[in-house]
Amino acid sequence: MSEEKREVEIKIRELGVTFRDNSGNDVQALTGVNLEIYKGEFIALLGPSGCGKTTLLRSVADLQQPTTGDIHIQGQTPKEIRLQQKFGFVFQQPVLLDWRKVKKNIELPMEIMGYSKEERSKRADEMLEMVGLKEFANHYPRQLSGGMQQRANIARAFSLDPYVLLMDEPFSALDEFTKEKLYEDLLKAWRATNKTILFVTHNIQEAVFLSDRVCVLSPHPGRLSAVVDIDLPRPRTLEVKDTPHFTELVTKVRNSFEGGSV
Amino acid sequence: MKSKAFSQKILKILPAIVWTIILVGAWEIGATVVANHKRTPENILPHLYQIIAAIFSIKKVANGMTATQIVLTSAQATLLRALLGFALGALLGFVFALIMKMSGVVEKLIFPYLMLIQLIPVLGLAPIVLSITGDINKSRVLIAAILSFYPVATNTLAGFKSVEKEKYDLMYIYAAKKWMLYSKVLIPASIPYFFTGLKIAAPMAVTASILVDTLQGDGGLGCMLSQSLKHAMSIYVFWLIVLFSAFVGVFSGKVMGWLEMLVSPWKRTVNAKKKK
Repeated sequence: MSEEKREVEIKIRELGVTFRDNSGNDVQALTGVNLEIYKGEFIALLGPSGCGKTTLLRSVADLQQPTTGDIHIQGQTPKEIRLQQKFGFVFQQPVLLDWRKVKKNIELPMEIMGYSKEERSKRADEMLEMVGLKEFANHYPRQLSGGMQQRANIARAFSLDPYVLLMDEPFSALDEFTKEKLYEDLLKAWRATNKTILFVTHNIQEAVFLSDRVCVLSPHPGRLSAVVDIDLPRPRTLEVKDTPHFTELVTKVRNSFEGGSV
Repeated sequence: MKSKAFSQKILKILPAIVWTIILVGAWEIGATVVANHKRTPENILPHLYQIIAAIFSIKKVANGMTATQIVLTSAQATLLRALLGFALGALLGFVFALIMKMSGVVEKLIFPYLMLIQLIPVLGLAPIVLSITGDINKSRVLIAAILSFYPVATNTLAGFKSVEKEKYDLMYIYAAKKWMLYSKVLIPASIPYFFTGLKIAAPMAVTASILVDTLQGDGGLGCMLSQSLKHAMSIYVFWLIVLFSAFVGVFSGKVMGWLEMLVSPWKRTVNAKKKK
C-alpha cells in the first residue's frame, strides 16, 4: 500500500481544551488528543454529547483556542489557514442569509475573498450543479426545504476550494430519506474535489458509512479513545449498509466507546 | 378544498366587518341622540353621511375655501414637517442603534436612558421645544423626530442582536473584515426590525405634529382642529380633520409596510416550511 507516501494534512498534538463553567469550575472538554489526518481523507469524529467532538472541530477551525497542545494544517496554524480563507465550514443549521438568493448565498465567501463578479457567478453555478440545486439558484432560502437548504450550506463550504472541509453534524436535523440522498451526494462531491473532510456526528452508522477512519471520542473528560479504520470499498453506495462487514464495523465502533454507560 | 379556503377568508375579514357595523351603529345612535338635544345651530356630532357629504361640498366655509380645501391646505403644513421629522428621527435612530451595537460601552451609557425620552409627555415637551426654537415649523420637525427616534433605535438594536452566533462564526471562518460583517450580515438582518420601528414611529410622528400645531395659531391641522371646535368655523372641518388625521396615521404605517416589501423582495416569497 502507498500508506507511507500519503501526505499529512492536519497534525493535532496533545490537544487540550479547558472551559470555565458558570460556577467558576474548570471543565476539561478535551484532553491529550493526538491525531494525524491525511490529505484527502474523510474523518468522522464520533461521540455522544459532551465528548468534545465539536470542540475539536472548532479548534481546528480557529473558532476555539486550545489550552494545551497545538494544531498544524499543512504546517501552518489554524489562524493562518483561516486568514487565507482555506476552510470550508458546514454548520448543523444551514445558516443561510434569508435576504440573499441561494446563488448569492453561495457567493458570499467569494465576495469576502474579493473574487470578481464573473468568477463568483461561474463558480457558484458549478457548486449549484454539484449539489443538485441548479434550478433553485434564484430562490430564497425560505422557499427551500430543510434538505435543500443544507445542500446550499454544503455548496457554500466547497465554493472557496478549501484545503479542509469541516462539518458539524450537518445532517442531524434532516429526515432519514433526505439524509441518505445527501450521503451519496456528499461522497460524490468529496470524490470529485478530493478534499480533506472532518465530519462531526453522533450517528455511528453515518460515521461508518461515510468515513475512512472513525475517531471515537469519549466524555468526562473528552478524549480520543479509539480510531477505527473503515475498509469498506469505495465508491460506496447505500447497499454497503446491508453487508455483514458494515455491521461488523458498526459493532466494532460501538464497542470502542469508553465509559460504559453510553 | 376551495370552499374551505373561502370560508377561511371570510373568517379572517369577519371581525373587521362586525366591528365596522358596531362602530357605525354606535356613531349613528350617538348622532341621533345628540341631534335631539342640540343647543348649537350645527350638530356637534353629525351623521356619517353628512360628514361624507362635507368632503364633496363646495360651500365656502372660511377664508373663501371649502372644508376639504381647508383640511388639505393645513395638512400640507403639518404633514411635510411630520415627514421631515420622521425621516430625521428614523435616521438618527438607526445610526444610534448602529453605534450602540458597535460599542458595548456606548450601549451601557445610552440605552437605559433612551427610555426617558419615551417617558416625557409630548404635551409637556412641545411647549418647551417651541419656546427654545421659537419657530412652530422647527418645533413640529423636532417633536416628530424625537418621537420617531426611540422606536426606531430600540427596534433596530434588537435587529442587530437577533443575529445568531452561527452567522458570526460563518463570517469569522471566512476571515471577513468587521465592515463586511456589518454590511453583509448585521445591517441586512436589522432591516425588518428597522421597519417595525418605522411602522410604530410613522403614526406617532403624525400625531405629534398635529399636537404641536395646537400650540400656535399658525395654520396646520392641529390649529384648525382647535379653531373649528371653538365654532370659529363649521363643525365639519373638525370632523374632516379627525377623519383625515386618522386616515393619514393608519396610512403612514401601511406605507412603511409597502416600503418594506419593496426593499425586501425575499419577504414577498412563500415560506416552504409553512406552505405544508
